[in-house]
Amino acid sequence: MTQNLELTDIQGNIVKAYGAFNFTKARYLFLRIDNGDKGREFVGAVTTKVTSAVRWEKNSMPVATTNIGFTFSGLQALELPTASLMGFPEEFVMGMKGRKDILGDDGPSDPMYWDKIWQETVHIWLSINGQSIEAVDERYQWILKQIEASDGGVTLLTGHRGEKDEDNLPYQDASVLYDAEGKPTPKEHFGYTDGIGDAVFEGQTNIQARVLGRGKLTRSGHWEPLATGEFLLGHVDEAMDYPQTAPTPKLLAHNGTYMVYRKLHENVGSFNRFLDEQSKVFPGSKELLAAKFSGRWRDNGAPVVNAPDDASKAEWDKNYAAADFAGQKKMLIDFTYNDDIDGAKCPISAHIRRINPRGSLEYGVKDAYERPGALVDRRRILRRGLPYGKVKDPTRDDGNHGIIFMALNADIKRQFEFVQQQWINYANDFKEGNDKEVLLGNHDAKNPGKVVFQVEKGSGKAPHFVNNIPRLIEARGGDYFFIPSITALKMIAGGIVDPT
Amino acid sequence: MSNIAGKAYAMNVITPIRWYKVWINRLIFKIALSKPSTLKGLVTLSLIHYARWVIIPRDGFPHLDSSQPKENLNYAYMLFFSNFNGSWDQYVDSFTFAIPAGLDLFWKWNVRYPKSVPLSPFHKYIRHNQIDTSHYYNAYPMAASNDVKSAKKLKQALINFNAESASKTSEEFLADYNRLLNYLQHDFGEMRATPIVSLAAHAVKERYLKSHAAH
Ligand code: HEM
Repeated sequence: MTQNLELTDIQGNIVKAYGAFNFTKARYLFLRIDNGDKGREFVGAVTTKVTSAVRWEKNSMPVATTNIGFTFSGLQALELPTASLMGFPEEFVMGMKGRKDILGDDGPSDPMYWDKIWQETVHIWLSINGQSIEAVDERYQWILKQIEASDGGVTLLTGHRGEKDEDNLPYQDASVLYDAEGKPTPKEHFGYTDGIGDAVFEGQTNIQARVLGRGKLTRSGHWEPLATGEFLLGHVDEAMDYPQTAPTPKLLAHNGTYMVYRKLHENVGSFNRFLDEQSKVFPGSKELLAAKFSGRWRDNGAPVVNAPDDASKAEWDKNYAAADFAGQKKMLIDFTYNDDIDGAKCPISAHIRRINPRGSLEYGVKDAYERPGALVDRRRILRRGLPYGKVKDPTRDDGNHGIIFMALNADIKRQFEFVQQQWINYANDFKEGNDKEVLLGNHDAKNPGKVVFQVEKGSGKAPHFVNNIPRLIEARGGDYFFIPSITALKMIAGGIVDPT
Repeated sequence: MSNIAGKAYAMNVITPIRWYKVWINRLIFKIALSKPSTLKGLVTLSLIHYARWVIIPRDGFPHLDSSQPKENLNYAYMLFFSNFNGSWDQYVDSFTFAIPAGLDLFWKWNVRYPKSVPLSPFHKYIRHNQIDTSHYYNAYPMAASNDVKSAKKLKQALINFNAESASKTSEEFLADYNRLLNYLQHDFGEMRATPIVSLAAHAVKERYLKSHAAH
């Protein structure tokens, strides 16, 4: 089945990870709508600049992009008809704060401690991605003008924490991290290489080259793109169904989707101390231990399942250096855990294994399920986002640095929330009881967690226990947004949404 | 009312089946039981405590007392009874994705069964025919089925180890101990409170606790 997507109608951030196109900088704005008529006019004005998913040729690439989304209360403020509003799913209506008990946002992640802006009512999310900070700022100035022109229709909300202890910034900036020579890198603040694995779905361009290790696993061990409906409303999903999260009328939902925005603070000091302490008792190098936390080596992203110790990593690096571009991509991404069901190579609790177990929930029972990824294919997300802030002192946790995490999916509850609740903060599907994922788990300072790093079964060796895991990641804000199609944006702006 | 007790969810679904087709279902059950490989998907789904299908013939419902009015039923019924860990959605979805053919085989002869794929008609069918649980007692609310299996394995292994290790030298003891840990490496999961399965059910419980604390 091939599917042609209406790329002119779909917002660009759904289909493209801008980061992969040299957009190294981003700025996120949040607004409140104070007047329905004027608010709709503002949405209409911004829609003229909204970036679609149309393919870019080298000379048609913009220097800045703009995308827009709405919270449920935002759609209310824009005066969508009640019948349309009633078609939105429960979790979207409740918003992220209302879901804190599902998401595990407790202790230092409690919404009480989030950036001040999240104590306000947020209606609109606006994003600018740019090839340079100047390009971002130019677009930002344009948006400020539209806000002013709205004549009290919308207000730009302040209250983001910043680099210099500010707590009242009018926007959240994000940026790739740079190396010592000032070159952009794919790193995040713990030193991992990020942005390698992302789901691929039917209708995206250049599928054949990208589907390896990123689509869904077939019975014969091949990869196919996921159904479009996993990521876009109005399209058939993996259950041969249309996503049930779509509001009416059809045109309001079609080609739209939902986005999770989360500001995740990284406790860099705790991470470094934890890694140092644990590596003293770990049989292997410190880098191997760090790799086992995430499932990929920090330096180049080599998957631990194919480079499970220091010697095999050296070998992997040699082969990687010798491979061509396509070969390197394949080495980074085309793998499963099927030959490592016990987790001796890549621990079952590693970040990327918990979040995308690929075929391993079949537990090596041949043909147990209809498809090897039967329990996984409906839990996939598209990741968009960038690091924010700078680490000034790697021994400290405080400051303002982490990841602006954005996930796109057709069903927040079934995809993002499920992964967050069942696979990060709980592990029954992995037969690991309540053990939480190492990096992201909401580990409790009073009752610190542990995970087991498995070893070869029957080897007589003891598995390695990683104890006293501190809270490494803290939520600092976020919400759930509806990302309408461009048609739907025009309908909303025109006040002509009619579910009849 | 609650279908949820700690980590477990009790699901009862009762669906009509034409009485003259009951024999087909009985035959299918028999074949499934005699060929365990047909159930391997079900068994591999580790969130399930157990699942049971029972045919109740037209005249098979209990008649407990002469004062109970006699029923004249048009259909026989298939009772599906299951206890599992996680939410209704997680369970029903896991069923449809992992073992759609098995579900269709068992329910195929039931009146108005829509097939397990696509999902939403199947969801509606199950929900429509589900009898919510009025009382649900769970002796180990913190234990998922996997926790119980691990705890049993761990306990037996420790008892054996204790019996065998008493007279060993310390080197032998250490080697044995490491072997024991290796054998149990998938059974050390922490057992703590359940993640919230349903915010509504959670709120019901909170209200109950609050009102009882007040009295
Ligand atoms: C600050 C928090 C986080 C950090 C430091 C982090 C780090 C990483 C790293 C280093 C990778 C490996 C590189 C790659 O495969 O692209 C990765 C992959 C991934 N992460 Fe995260 N992550 C964070 C939060 C999250 C959250 C909250 C989710 C979702 C709930 C998530 C979902 C994923 C997914 C889906 C992958 C790809 C897995 C695969 O397909 O194999 N991450 N992350």
